[in-house]
Parts: sequence; C-alpha cells; structure tokens
Amino acid sequence: MNGPVKRRDFLKMMGVSGVGGTLAGCDLPSTVTLEEGKEDVVSYFMPEEYVIPGVGVWFASTCLQCDAGCGIHGRVREGRFLKVEGNPDSPINKGKTCQMGQAGVQSHYNPDRITQPMMREGGKLIAVSWEQANSALKQKLSNAGKKIGWFTGTISGHQSALITNYLDAVDASTESHFTHDVVNAAVWQAVNKDMLGDSMPELHMDKAALILSFGADFLGTWVSPVHFAGKWGEFRSAEAGAGRGTLIQVESKMTLTGGNADLWVPAKSGSEGAIALGLVNYVIKNSPNAGNNISSEQQNLISSYSLEKVAQIAGTSQDYIKRIGDALIKRSPSLVLAGASVEGHEHGYDAVAAIMLLNIVLGNVGKTIQPSNATPFPQLQAKPGNTRDLIEFTNAAKSKKFDVVFFSGSNPVFTAPDSLGLKDALGNVGFKVAVSTFPDETTMQADLVLPLSSYAEDWGTHVPAYQEDRNIVAVQQPLMNNLYSDTKGLGDILLDLLKDKKPDEYGSYKDYYAYLQDAIKTLRGSSSIKEPEAGDLQFWNKTLKTGLIDVADQKNTFASTISTENVTIKLPEEKTDSAYPYQLAPVARLGLYDGRHANLPWLQESPDQISKVVWDSWAEMHPNTAKKIGVSHGDLIEVASENGSIKLKAYIIKGVHPDTIAIPLGQGHEEFGRYAKGLGVNPLKILTARTDSKTGELAMYATRVKVTALGKEDVFVRLGGNDTQVGRKFVRTIPVEVLKRTEGA
Amino acid sequence: MSLSNILNNWSHYRRGAEEGGHHDYEHRWTMAINLDKCIGCNACSVACYSENNLAVVGKAKFDKGQAMHWMRIERYFDESEKEFPDSGASFLPMMCQQCGAATCEPVCPVAATYHTPDGLNAQVYNRCIGSRYCSNNCPFRVRYFNFYSYYESSWPEPLNLQLNPDITVRDKGVMEKCTFCVQRIRVAKDKAKMADRRVIDGEFTTACAQVCPTSAIVFGDTMDKDSQVAKLWKKQQVERVVTKQNKSNSELRGYRIFEELNVDPSVMYMERVRDTEI
Amino acid sequence: MIVSEKDINEQIKWAQINTDVLRSLENPRKAYWVALFICFAMFSCAVVAEVYQYQVGLGPTNLNNPHMWDMYIATFVFWIGMSHSGTLLSAILHIIHADWRKPIYRFAEAMTTFSLLTAGFFPMIHLGRVWNLYWVLPYVSDRGHWPNFRSPLAWDAFAISTYLSASMLFLFIGMIPDLAICRDNTTGWRKKLYTAISLGWTGNDRQWRTFRKTYLLMACFLIPLAVSVHSIVSSDFAVSIMPGWHITSFPPYFVAGALYSGCAAIITLFVLLRYFFRFEEYMTTAIMEKTAKLTFAIAMVWTYLNLIEFGATWYGHNMYDKELLIAKATGPYAWVFWTMIFCGMVVPFALAVQKFRRHMPTMFVVSLFLNLSMYFERWMIVAPTLSMSHQSHQWDVMWPSIVQWAIVFGSFGWFGILFLIFVKVFPSISMYEVKEMVYHRKREAELEGASAATNKPNLEGAS
Repeated sequence: MNGPVKRRDFLKMMGVSGVGGTLAGCDLPSTVTLEEGKEDVVSYFMPEEYVIPGVGVWFASTCLQCDAGCGIHGRVREGRFLKVEGNPDSPINKGKTCQMGQAGVQSHYNPDRITQPMMREGGKLIAVSWEQANSALKQKLSNAGKKIGWFTGTISGHQSALITNYLDAVDASTESHFTHDVVNAAVWQAVNKDMLGDSMPELHMDKAALILSFGADFLGTWVSPVHFAGKWGEFRSAEAGAGRGTLIQVESKMTLTGGNADLWVPAKSGSEGAIALGLVNYVIKNSPNAGNNISSEQQNLISSYSLEKVAQIAGTSQDYIKRIGDALIKRSPSLVLAGASVEGHEHGYDAVAAIMLLNIVLGNVGKTIQPSNATPFPQLQAKPGNTRDLIEFTNAAKSKKFDVVFFSGSNPVFTAPDSLGLKDALGNVGFKVAVSTFPDETTMQADLVLPLSSYAEDWGTHVPAYQEDRNIVAVQQPLMNNLYSDTKGLGDILLDLLKDKKPDEYGSYKDYYAYLQDAIKTLRGSSSIKEPEAGDLQFWNKTLKTGLIDVADQKNTFASTISTENVTIKLPEEKTDSAYPYQLAPVARLGLYDGRHANLPWLQESPDQISKVVWDSWAEMHPNTAKKIGVSHGDLIEVASENGSIKLKAYIIKGVHPDTIAIPLGQGHEEFGRYAKGLGVNPLKILTARTDSKTGELAMYATRVKVTALGKEDVFVRLGGNDTQVGRKFVRTIPVEVLKRTEGA
Repeated sequence: MSLSNILNNWSHYRRGAEEGGHHDYEHRWTMAINLDKCIGCNACSVACYSENNLAVVGKAKFDKGQAMHWMRIERYFDESEKEFPDSGASFLPMMCQQCGAATCEPVCPVAATYHTPDGLNAQVYNRCIGSRYCSNNCPFRVRYFNFYSYYESSWPEPLNLQLNPDITVRDKGVMEKCTFCVQRIRVAKDKAKMADRRVIDGEFTTACAQVCPTSAIVFGDTMDKDSQVAKLWKKQQVERVVTKQNKSNSELRGYRIFEELNVDPSVMYMERVRDTEI
Repeated sequence: MIVSEKDINEQIKWAQINTDVLRSLENPRKAYWVALFICFAMFSCAVVAEVYQYQVGLGPTNLNNPHMWDMYIATFVFWIGMSHSGTLLSAILHIIHADWRKPIYRFAEAMTTFSLLTAGFFPMIHLGRVWNLYWVLPYVSDRGHWPNFRSPLAWDAFAISTYLSASMLFLFIGMIPDLAICRDNTTGWRKKLYTAISLGWTGNDRQWRTFRKTYLLMACFLIPLAVSVHSIVSSDFAVSIMPGWHITSFPPYFVAGALYSGCAAIITLFVLLRYFFRFEEYMTTAIMEKTAKLTFAIAMVWTYLNLIEFGATWYGHNMYDKELLIAKATGPYAWVFWTMIFCGMVVPFALAVQKFRRHMPTMFVVSLFLNLSMYFERWMIVAPTLSMSHQSHQWDVMWPSIVQWAIVFGSFGWFGILFLIFVKVFPSISMYEVKEMVYHRKREAELEGASAATNKPNLEGAS
C-alpha cells in the first residue's frame, strides 16, 4: 500500500466517518510519512474524525476466507482491525458471517505470515529484498517468453482481469490461468449450464416446501453457505410462504446440513444418481402430471429403476426412498440439490444430471430454481476453482509447458493427490513464484516467494459466483495499514508485472489503488450500474461505504425447452473391490474448509460440528463397520488406498453409511505455520486420481480403501463428555404437527 | 449498601424471587434461541472468541477440559421420538444463562460475581480470587477458569493486536464466562444516556446474535415490551421467576433449561421441530 | 475371656511420672531424626509443587471445567476432620468426667492444632489467586468491599480461624501446669522457654481454681465450636445445588466423619507414641480398648448416616442424585467408593473383637484402614459430583495430577514435622492429669479397701 498522502488527502476530502480506506493515525504510517517528509505527524490530541481514540469505526469490505464473497464490516480502532461483522448491505450474507469469516482477523494477524520476499538459494529459501526479488523475476520472465502460467484459487474482479491481461500481454493463452479449488461445485455448474443454460441458477430455498439434498452441504461448505444459512432461517420459519420447510438429506456421511435434516438417509456415495432416477420413476408413476417433459424412450429406461433396485444400489432401505418419493409428490415446490459426494465419481456428471432431471420432473425449474443475473462485466466474472485445472496443470507441467508459474490463493501441493504426481511435475517448472501470505506447502516449494498482503490490507473487487436477490460487484478495501511494510497486494504485484509489459497502458497508475479507482470510474460510466451517483468521487465514496457496487438486474433466461435428452439414464454400477471394501469420503468441513484455515487457532479450536473433535483428524465409521474391522472408538487405524495410506483415529458414529469411511479435510499440513503443522492427516493424499468422464473433474469420492486396526490410542480431543442428554431434555423436539397447531406452519 | 439503607428498605430487600427479587431492574437483557433455526455451525462460538478475547488453549489443554468457549455448541445424538441418525443431530448453543436467581452468586466468598441492575450475572475479574465455587455450583457448567496465563501462548505477536480493547485479557486464576457482551451493552447505554433516551431495540446486539447466519439467536431487553425478544417471550408465554410455566397453550415451544431448579435463566429456548410426517 | 485390667497402675509414683514424661523430651534418638528428615522431604515435595503451581496457574493440577475442585478440597476436609479428635477426647470426655482420656488427650489436642494448621493451607493452595486471600476476611477497605457473607467459603474463613485459635488456646491452657514442671526440671534454653510460657505457675490454690474454671469454660466453648466448624465445612457442599452435595444430613454426617477420622488418627498416634516413647505404663491397653470402643461407636454412627444418605437419595428419587449414586457404585470411581465402604463400614468391626483391640500392631493397621476410608470418603464427596452433575454434556472423568498428589503428600510431611517438634518440646502426656488420675484411682482403691477394712484413706503424699 503505497501513497498514503494521496489517500489521506482523499480521506480529508471525504470527511465522512465510516468511509474510507486505511487509517492514518496508527504508529506505522505516521513514522513512514514523517521520514518521507510528506506529511505532518498526526497527534492523537488532534484526532481526525475517524480516529477518535476509544471509538471504533466500521469499514466495509469483502471477506476472502472462502469464495462466497460475503460483505463484511471490519471494526477498526486506533488503526487496528479488530473484528469482522457481516455487512447488512450485502445481498450475499445480509449482515451475517460464518466462523471462517470471523477468524479473518487471525489470518491477518497470523504470527506465521510471510513478511518479506524470499528466494531459493542452495535449496533453501533465503530472505531477500524486493529489488533482488524483482530483478530475479524480471530475468526469469524475459527468458520464459510466453511460457508463463498463473495458478490461483477461485478468482474474480479486477485481479482476475489483470491476470488475463498479463497473460495476454506475454502472449500466453488464457488457458495458462488455472483456477483450482478442492471445494467446488464445478460439475453442478456444468450440468446446469448444459441443461438450463445457466451455470449458477438462483436457488430459492425460502420458497421451497421441501429440500431434498444429495450430499450438498449448503449450510456448511457448498457454494455460498452463509447465504443459504440465511435462507434456511426463512425456510425453517413457520411464517414463511410455504410454512416450515422440510429437509431430506441423502448422503454417505452426515454433514452439518445432514445434521439438521428432518430425515437423514444414509446412502452409498455414487448411488445418488440412481436414487434420483428411482425417484423420477416413482414420481412419474404416482403423479399424473409429471413426466410430460421426458421422452417415452427415456421413461422406458427410467422405469427399470425400481425402488427396490435403487435401494439395493444405494445400500439403504427401500422404505426411505419411498418416503422421499411420497414427500416429493405431496410437497411442492421442492428443490433437489447435488453436492460433492454426487459429483465426485466417474459418472458424477450423469448423476447430477439425473438429479436435475428430478427437479425438472417435479416442476421445480422456474419455481425454486430460477435464472440468475448475468454479470454485465464478463471480464470480472468469477473463474470458479475446480479440480480439472489441477489435473490439466499437472499434465502441462509434466510436459514442461511452463518456465515460470505464479501461485496464489491456492495450495495445490497440499490438495493434489499423491497419485497425480504434482510434486514431480513441479520439478519441471523452471521457476515457481509463490505470491503468498503464508508459508504453505506450495509456497515452500517455490523458487521465489513474494509476500502478499492479507485480505484486510488489500484492495480488490470480487464478483461472487453465486448471487441471488441482487446483482453486485463486491469491493474489498483495506481495513488497516500493512502490518509488515514489505508485503504487497496482489493487484499491486500484477500491476507491476503489467507495467513492465505494457507501460503505456498501465504506467500511469501509481498503484493498484489508483488503478481500481479508475476502473470503478469506468464501471460507473457503463449503463449497468444501478444507481450511479452524480460524480465519480461520490460514487467512489458510496462504493467504499457500502462495500459493493449495485449492478442492474439482467436476468438470464433458461433454455426455452429444457433438454433432458442428454441425461444418461443408464448409470454405471458401483465398482466393488474385495481388497478395498470401503468408500473413502474426504469431506470438507465448515471451519478448516479444504485446509486453508488450518493455521487459524480459533478454527482449530472450534469443534467439528458433528464429531466435536478439535485439533485433529479422525475417520468416521459406522458401528457395524467398526465391529467388522474390530476397532473401537478412539483406536488407531490405518486407512489405505491403492495410492497410499494414512494413520488416524477411528470415530464410531451412526451418521455414516456402513460402506463409507469419512475423513475430514483440513489437517495433515507439513508446512503452514505453527498451528497447522504436524496435526492430523490429509485424506486427499491417498486419493486415486480418477476423473469424472464428462467434465474431467477429479472424482473425489471414488477412492476405495481398506482399514486395519492398529490398537489403542488416546481418546479424542473433543468438546463434551457425553453425546446423549441422559433424559435431561436440553434440546426438546416436537413434531411438526404441533408447530402447525401453535404457529400455523 | 449502608446499614441505614438496609434498615429503611428492609421490606424492599426481602422480597422473594417470585416478586422479582429485590432488584429494581433498569433492563433485563434476555435471549431467545430458536433451536429449529440453529444449525450448530459454530459461528457464534468463534465470534465470541473474537469479541471477548477468549484464549485459545491448544490441543493438550483442550483435552484436559480447560478450554474457554463461553459459547459452546453442544451436540446430542439422541432425541425422544426417533433414534439418531434418522432425524439428524441436536444442537444446543449453551452459554451463561444470566440467571435471575443465579446459584453462582451467593457462593462466591468475595462477591466477585453479583447481580447487576440489568439482570446480568456480572463477573468482576479484579475481585475474583479463584475459589471456583461459582463454577461448581453452576448447573449449566458455563463458567470457565483461567488455569494458565494464556497471554503469551494464545496471542503470540502480532495476534495480540487483534485483542478487543474494550475488555480485558484475563490472567491466570480468574473465573470468566459469557457476559452477554457487556461491553456492547455499556456503549449502547452510554449512547442512550447522552441522547437522553432509552436503549432502542436492535441498536446493538451480542456478538453471537449478530453473527448467527440463521438469526436463531435474538437478544434484547424484556423490560422494553416492544422489543423483538420481549414479543417472542410473550408469544411463547414464557415468564421469568417461575419454576413451572403456566401456559394457556401447553404446546407452545418456549422453555427454559433447568427451570425446575428455580434459577430463573434469562435464555429461552424454542423447541427443535422435526417433520415426522415424511 | 474377659480381661479386666486397670486403666493405669495407681501405684506409680508421681516423681516417676515426671521422669518418664520428661525423658521423652530429651535426647532424640536416631530414628527421630530420620523421621523428621522424611517428613521434611515430603514437605519439600509439596513446596516444589506449590511454587510451580503458583508460577504457572492451576492448570497442571488437571483440574478442568467440571472438576473445579478435587484433592485439595478433599484433603482440606480430611484434615479438618482429623482436628476433631483432640476436641472430642479432651473437651467432651473432660466434661463427662471420663478420666481415662487423661494420658492421651495432650497429643490428641496437639494433633487438632496441627491438623488445623495443615488444613488451613488447602483453601489457600486451591485458590487461583492466593495473593488475594485476605479478601475473604472482613477488613475495613477504603472501597467499602466486604466478603460475601452468604458464601460458605467466607464462613469457612471465620470458622477455621476461630477454631484454630480456640484449640491452640485450649492446648496451651491445659499445658500450663506441665510447663511449670518442665520449667522446674530443665536448664538452658528450655528453662527460659518454659519460664516464659508457664506464665508464673506456682500451683497455689487460687491458680488451680482459676485454671479449672478456665479449662472447663474452654472445653464447653470448644464443643459447639467443633460441631459448628465441621457443619460449616459441610455447607461448602450442602449449600450448593449440586446432586450429591445438596444433602440435608451433611452437617451431622460430616461431624460424625470428623470424629471418626479423628479417633482413627488418635489410635495411629497412640500406637506410635506408646512404642517410640515407651509409654506403656501410661498409654495402657485398657485405654486403647476404651478408645477403640469409642471409635467403633462413632464408626457405626457414621455408617448409619451414610446409609441414611443412600436411602434418602434412593427414596428421594431425584433423577440427578440417583444417577450419581449409581455412578459412584458402578462408574469409574467405583473402586474408591467400595474401598471406602469396606474400610469404613466393615473394617471397624475388628474393633468389636477384644483380641484385636488389645493387640497394638493390629490396631495400628486397622486405624490406617479407617483413615484411608475417611480420606476416600472426602474425595468421593468432591469428585463424582463434579464429574457428573446436571449438565450431561460436560461429564468428565478426571484423575488428579502429580502436582496435586505432591501437595497432598507433602501436607502429611508438614503435619509430621509439627508433631515431631511438638513431642520433643512439650510433654506429650499430661503429667499433672496423670497424677490426678493415679491419685483418684489410688483413692478409689483405698476407699474400696477401707470400706472393707474400715481404714481411713491415706491421702498424704499428694502435693
């Protein structure tokens, strides 16, 4: 963050409390500006309006703890960023946050942040100055020509545009920008795109009377959890239009969402598509109007999916499926969702498509599933992270396609399965540049490490991939000055790269801040802004104050005739393997997420919602499975796939399918600072690198494992000494009929 | 509490709990938690860590049961009608219930925990000598003791910069617990006083209620009859200072935990609902 | 076979009594130094543990959210219980004129004082912030702060300090005539010490009269005090609302338990003193028999109160109480519970057998079992309730850490140090009262003889 003078002047001009960028007034900037001789030291005795000692001010920004793009308010007092609250103006989270958002302050103040550039010398990363780093980088880049790549997580907004522009400037194709995230809904999006013509349609949960979710942990990690949790509040309230909504969750391991279901149905992962087809079949048979939009040929195929067969494939009771079918017929509108456990198979696409077919048959499309708003600025649109890019990048790297690769906002060395061979592939990349806040696994493999500012120190714009109600561009502004003087924002680093290549186009911008101001001025000029203020400055002020830019609604339309022809009705049977009898479910959890938050002590100490374990990894298994293997709660076990094995403790719980061994993501870091290192195991490492046949996404749930007992260990470190209420009725439960009588649900 | 005050107001002070105790409340900060909306996501718990400078104790001490989560989400696997896991798990946000007749208060030898005119069980950290009787006598087990000095271990530089300057960092030997974000209450009351008005409902809320993604937690002042929380209590026909609720409709969802112990909790829970028709 | 034996040989010469008792003050043998060293070593363990705990906080004790109290409080109650022995033997038996108490009450009273001095440490040690301990005392503060008079812990502070000062005074007053004897028979620093603390005792009539009245008064004052002290200690638990603590019968139960453990401790020390100081002449098997019978009676009272508690819990049908009682008998702490039941309710029946009562080694072992039972009883009151109370989510099983063990262990060392120093500085048998006893017995014997032979009793020689 350079140019404090400019910003200070600008802040003075505004003179509006609660609006503005970083605060002058904390110790650091005063000293800096004094040395530079550009400004007077501001004393606390003559405070500016926004730095009254003892009075907190709230600044709007955007949360980057996951990719949902929630608006936040950062509490700033005496120049320090102290607390995150949700931004009530944001249509994404409406003033709420999740625990990961709350822990944002800890990723900002993390004691293990990278504070200066580092370069690999003699196999070790040695601290260097920015000049040294830049000159080394420049040399490598000029040698690389167009063999340059970017590897990021989900990215959107002007940073994304700058990456595209940069790759453009060096003549590399946009294919050289890889976006990778383990937690994604890539297959869901692909199916939506193909069937509805809209990859991220709006899901109106509040309008649904029934949600049937196939492993979509929408309250935990799926797409936009805080948003959906807000909708859940409406969904569950008796006052809402459809009354209190009912959730049926079908999955192999009880997720947070599953824990809140009215009916939780254990089913083998990979069988969801079959269940959906069975339900389509049941609905068509029992509901007179359904099935009009399905060709008779397909109907014939579907009719082979009897409840009995489906139940057998899913390894669950037929009664469950019948109950689901009856509920779907009775309650309308409903909403059927598909999550990671559906997507994560070689036939993942087909399974999701079958689920979408169920939505179509039930007539949900147009009711609870509605077209989303189109982003009028396609260059700012989110590039959602996925696992296909990881595989493609690995292949590209193997074939020595890149001389220089920038890594930022993603940790592929941690998330890539060993069987993919990413580590070896990285050896073929001549020069790896990590633009990183933390010394994670990928960063520690890099040849050059550029210290990245935390999200609370940086500028940016973000276009959330999932939007509902309103169409926005979320704006990220610094909540305080740089904690470490040597860190730089992503935009600034990109701008510096671009200045080199296109000085005439970008040379005039002093920094990313200036660029962004100009860019937002340009946005205002477009007709797509809902309420452009009278002047540029006013608009800029308003943008910073609200933390978002309201973009005019411009609804997409669904394909006029929704095609069901592409839906593969014949789903492959689950492969069984007597040597590896169990399915491995690597589950993301709200908290540590895919492992990116393992260095935040609050989240490490925040118990897993279902198992209540802290600071550790565990493998959930059904009591019957445990009996078969001969392990008891807390025993050490070895979970082995064809591609490796991990040792961890067994957690015996009924909320998992007997054929499934569920291991949460997040732990097993070899690097990543004091809080993450050496805790637990990473199940991603032992995944077999199969892919979904249609989208090329990694089939995350397709790995089969065997389990061997290794004997007694200490019990878990977990919250609570008792799983039952022992007759105490702390949580009292009433059937919905009672609610209907009292509150009219 | 001078002697003359006691003598002059004896009849006033000797009022029983059924008559509201001897307190002339200015506010009665109260909560209503809808367990059907609560998804057990832990956001409240982490928000509490952030707002109230709660120490992170680490794996070993967590294992010993020395963690400091003022707001903890209890997860139960059983429920009366159906067996787990058919209808999911049960989640219960549990924090200090700010009892009107708190069992922690009379047993503290130095009166470090006392009843404020707002109806809160205040914990005076400076006064606490760490006898821990309050925690032993708390049926909810929501009082947390500083078994160590956590300052250095929990907030290594620069994590200490995050600490909320509005409240203290407790040192070893001191009992602590949920305060209903008393620092926020103070600010709101001061503001109201400056403007010569009452605190407006919704003007502020606790960190947990503010963050709650599903808005399951509602916080407010039941002395303010128009507040959202007062309306909820009224609607559920849950009243303070009774051991057994006298509801015209016994099916209403509101209840208080351990009401039968006559501790008069300030938190009303609303029953979890499950659809049994499917 | 019923052996009827005299409590004391009435033919002992008074000078002989002086010589025997004063001999115990002299020339500590090697064993004494070894014992003192062992006690000191034990005490050092506690000091090290306490210094560590003071520096670090209470964390290393393994205490946690449900288990806010554990061994420290149990040990506190244990020592307070021990302290009731002296009071009982001295004051109650004094009032009811049971003169067999006379040879053994002095060390029992010393035990009272030293138990209290040991017990007093524990409320301090267990505090999170010991340095603010004085806040529980009602001193005049410029901030107008007072302790919370509703809290049993504040009552404890008053009760224990009162009891400690009263029993020290009682011990001291009862010792004055003996101190004068010591004064008259020693030289050097001892002479100076005894001169100062015998307060000019000459043994004239006026002094004796005042002495008797004061002593009786103190005895009368001490009995209700002792009962109240342990009742107050019981309110540390009974005032709470926790299952297993909130029990109406706790005050008498605690008092009975205290007397029980006090008696058991008396037997232990009785045997030790008798052996080491060769006090066979004074601490006779007859007195031991009486002590043992008393202990047996108290053991039965305690057993009864225990059963009452179980029965009341069962019939009271309070879910939490009942669940706790079942858990005590079957849960992880069950072995402690059953050891307590066995040692406290079954072992005392050994005291009903005369053969055992008269066999010192047996009595020693039995008394140790009784003490163990009483320690376990205290621990079984504290720990299981905390491990499972109303809030089932926070149920937890916790075992105390080495730090707690070290401090508890060391407290026995501290008690030992005090007691060992006492027996070498002060006469551990009351000389003047033994003389009285001998005199009375002699007179009774002579009266019996006189009624047969119509002879006048020979009262000469009593000075």
